[in-house]
Amino acid sequence: MISRNIISGLFVLSLIASPVMIRAADYHHVHVTASSPAKGVEWYTEHMGCEPLADRDDAANCDGVELVFVPQSTSGGSPGTGVNHIGFSVPDLDARMAELEAVGVQGSGVRLQRNEDGTIIRDIPGLFKIAFIFDPWGTRIELVEDEEYLGFHHIHLSATDPAETLAFYRDVMGGEEASLRGMLDGLLFEDVWLLVSQHPEGTMPAQTEGRAIDHIAFMVDSFDTEGPKLRQAGVEFQEEPMVPLNARTQARRAFVMGPDKVRIAVVEAGFAGVEMDLAPVVEADLGPYTTPQTSWGVPDLQGLWRADISHGIPLERPEDVDVAELTQEEAVARREGGTLGGIWGYDREWRDTALGFAPKAVSTQVALVVDPPDGRIPPLTPEGEELAASAATAARAYATNPSAGPEDTTPYVRCITRGLPSMMMPIGYNNGLQIVQGPGYVAITKEMIHETRVIPTEPQAEAGDDLRLWLGVPQGRWNGDTLEVTTTNFNGRASYRGSSADMTLTERYTLLGPELLEYQFTIDDPKVWTAPWTGMFRFSRDAEDGQYELVEYACHEGNYGMEGILTGSRARE
Amino acid sequence: MQNRYRGTAITACFVVGVVLFLTVGQALGQSSTYQAERTTDGKPNLNGIWQTMNTANWDLQDHPAYPGLPIGGAIGAVPPGQGVVVGNDIPYQDWAMEQKDKNFTNRLTEDPEAKCYLPGVPRATYMPYPFQIIQGTEKMLIAYGYAEAVRTVHLDKENPEPAPIDSWMGRSHGTWDGETLVVEVAGFNGEAWLDRAGNFHGSGLRVTERYTPISPNALMYEATLEDPDVYTRPWTIKMPLYRRLEENARLIEYKCIEFSEELLYGHLRKESGQ
Repeated sequence: MISRNIISGLFVLSLIASPVMIRAADYHHVHVTASSPAKGVEWYTEHMGCEPLADRDDAANCDGVELVFVPQSTSGGSPGTGVNHIGFSVPDLDARMAELEAVGVQGSGVRLQRNEDGTIIRDIPGLFKIAFIFDPWGTRIELVEDEEYLGFHHIHLSATDPAETLAFYRDVMGGEEASLRGMLDGLLFEDVWLLVSQHPEGTMPAQTEGRAIDHIAFMVDSFDTEGPKLRQAGVEFQEEPMVPLNARTQARRAFVMGPDKVRIAVVEAGFAGVEMDLAPVVEADLGPYTTPQTSWGVPDLQGLWRADISHGIPLERPEDVDVAELTQEEAVARREGGTLGGIWGYDREWRDTALGFAPKAVSTQVALVVDPPDGRIPPLTPEGEELAASAATAARAYATNPSAGPEDTTPYVRCITRGLPSMMMPIGYNNGLQIVQGPGYVAITKEMIHETRVIPTEPQAEAGDDLRLWLGVPQGRWNGDTLEVTTTNFNGRASYRGSSADMTLTERYTLLGPELLEYQFTIDDPKVWTAPWTGMFRFSRDAEDGQYELVEYACHEGNYGMEGILTGSRARE
Repeated sequence: MQNRYRGTAITACFVVGVVLFLTVGQALGQSSTYQAERTTDGKPNLNGIWQTMNTANWDLQDHPAYPGLPIGGAIGAVPPGQGVVVGNDIPYQDWAMEQKDKNFTNRLTEDPEAKCYLPGVPRATYMPYPFQIIQGTEKMLIAYGYAEAVRTVHLDKENPEPAPIDSWMGRSHGTWDGETLVVEVAGFNGEAWLDRAGNFHGSGLRVTERYTPISPNALMYEATLEDPDVYTRPWTIKMPLYRRLEENARLIEYKCIEFSEELLYGHLRKESGQ
């Protein structure tokens, strides 16, 4: 019924409706953010009953509306924008939600939205039963039990003036006025609804561009005939009709701004999206690189760095992997696994969705451990076995038993520290690392929790043995273009896999290119491990637009989690 | 009415400024012409570990000794001190004066410092712990010993940008005015206090800080606070910052969270015998 097309990297929804002022446009697509198109297709096929398209790998057909999946970082989920959610209708909502609940978040990314009383389904008298979930990348989805319109059911807008917004889509896009069960005024585009709710008073909808639902798209036969009509209807083109770069067909596309800052694409029949290049793998240009110098003559490592490209690399080489490096496809698949597996309690807004999505691409490293060369951590000493076992027991106890007080949780949960080297490791969100240098010092600030290490690069008097700190006492030096930092004097209370207070941590920071910083850490802790071992991963520079900056991560100040943990523990007792 | 106040405020500022100028000029003698050591890019070199030596964190204003913590005998008492507020008065609006008094009454549980929360600006400067300036060419980092507090001072942005989000420490932009580093700070969340006596500000606070070297081992620190929601006019604090001269001086982490947990979460703790 509708030609399925994808638009440059977003999830598009297309519908067709009968024209009112102009010939009715069809929904064509909904442009949705995902961390990989293939994963988006898979997820919506598995959980929402959409179908993969035979000739395209970046979109799924959901009842004639395409969902187009575009890999990109987003600045938030769909709620809060002018396109709050999309809806699907199923014949038996109870059964469907039970299925989804059984699937679980971990590994599937299916996140249910619970009502205040803990239930997940609401029965709206006169309408039908409804429930809400989120996809792994922040798009809110309503599931309804509307037997009249099964499958892709609606696009739900949030408007400051719903009547005016409806009029726009009726007059300009040609939606047909209708009332859903006599209760909700909306528009029909073929058999898919466009519904509008009042946006919360006192706030304005945020623009959809750059959010989980980037835009919605309508199809017209041709801009030659419809373009003038659109203009006549007062539509301002933000981007004139043209064949986009790398488009699969010669059909044109234009962008217009709808009410409530909703980005709308208008495409011609036959439009089939654009070919997206998957981000290339970081083999980068690792040729000789001359590290720039500061004005006082030491290597200049300053800037904002992010560890996103290294998210998902396992610490040790998995037993069944015997290659030196993953292929790009394997690396992308691993990144996706990390994305879906990493979505649990938190709302999408707390996480970098694209979790593993990094503009520079994903690391093909097999393991963080690079020495020993087999990628496996050396055996523990007998004392190390005991320490590691007691650390594991404590972790299990925290995960399963009520916490009597904050001390029963972890230093990370208490917002005290992630410890070293943990605080340097890539994580699901807030991966920023800022390096600022002054003569004789390098300051390294991690965004997560906000922890700063001020590292002297000139020799300092050794710290006394009684000065024991969470992050130890660091001493840096320049070795060629590499910053080497040796840290001792740990208090041992933020143990890394059993590491003791006697650990000596040696780190090496080396620029491999203008946008790539290699980080190596060597753990020497003879009490725990029978030999020193070294891990490595890379940070990429936020060179795109310089927009990334460390925003204050006031962890302890906002640690509602601790109150929740303790309140829950008391309730369980 | 607001304009009238503003006019008064400007006049007052001018007068205070003139008086200040004369006073400072006399008090500091030749120090007003002190030329700081230069960094390699020709700016006054502020690198170092610095600390105040005063009682501003107990009370910004003149105060005699008074009882503090109800435990620990004299250890918990508030040491007496001369104020750091220029003119000694903090020009609170009426409601704000009442709020300050309430804060004072509840200070042992409500002061964000008791909760190990981030100190905000300018309080971070005069907490009784050292802080370190790491002065690069485009960014300057000020790392505070207390609570991992840290600020990036953007030296590379010509026009102050709005803060991306309100925060405890605000967003800082630095410019050079001769020998002085001028830092404009805004974008506060309004949660921080100014001292243990309950002096406070709102989220509309704008702070203009001036760091001026007055000798190889001292900086003069001034901070002007403007918050039209809370004060009737801008007001200024002023104090020297001293270099920590110990040969092995380091900024030592002071992660105080665990010491705040009983205050914050004690009521949620499992009772013994439960």
